[in-house]
Amino acid sequence: MRPCNSLKLEFLKNWIMGLQRWSFSKKEMGILERKKAIKLSADIAMASARNGTTRWSRALIANAYSKHDKHLVSKGASTEYSRRIRSKKILKRSCRRIRRRSKGLVRERTRILKNLIPGGELMNEGSLIEESLDYIVSLRAQVDVMRSLVSASEVDR
Amino acid sequence: MSSRRSRQSSAGVSRISDDQIIELVSKLRQLLPEIRDRRSDKVSASKVLQETCNYIRSLHREVDDLSERLSQLLATIDADSAEAAIIRSLIM
Repeated sequence: MRPCNSLKLEFLKNWIMGLQRWSFSKKEMGILERKKAIKLSADIAMASARNGTTRWSRALIANAYSKHDKHLVSKGASTEYSRRIRSKKILKRSCRRIRRRSKGLVRERTRILKNLIPGGELMNEGSLIEESLDYIVSLRAQVDVMRSLVSASEVDR
Repeated sequence: MSSRRSRQSSAGVSRISDDQIIELVSKLRQLLPEIRDRRSDKVSASKVLQETCNYIRSLHREVDDLSERLSQLLATIDADSAEAAIIRSLIM
């Protein structure tokens, strides 16, 4: 199941637009700070390419917006997601006290998977599987595009 | 399936059903290189979950590594070089 080209194109377009927003400060940024900005804008670009159709992408955008890098996310996309996720978190917090401690490999690894997927801790296990598959396909598209850009830029080195 | 066990589900949270595992395995078989050559009835739920987590973690690491390399490239790029022209043409 290779990531389709339209997904990669959507990602690349979003990513370039995101990179342009902070390009004015490119010269003054340290390498580590620039790396974080590149990575964050890539993650947001990938999530935006899903157009709000998956939970992990909505969670990723909402989490990014709630941290300090507000200028990388367009306001309209994130406030709605943040609101929904905040009310879900309040509900889940009250259920957490009733839940038994995890037992068995399946439970433990499901818990680990939930922590790997953005917004995973809020999902029931049925959605978790669907979201994981979509997340993996998106990650592969993101990696493919980033890898192409890096190898294009590293020519003649 | 080796993972079948009778277990009560905790309040409000359902455990992954065997049907869901079968579906996950068949889709992941196409995605994950390690599982591709195994027959589905020999792969346990815990193994599938473990491979999924490992794969996602390795993809995260790759994104991180690629971001680092891009950051270094942009730092060292000469403004009038061919590489700058490539990147500039992407952004136009």
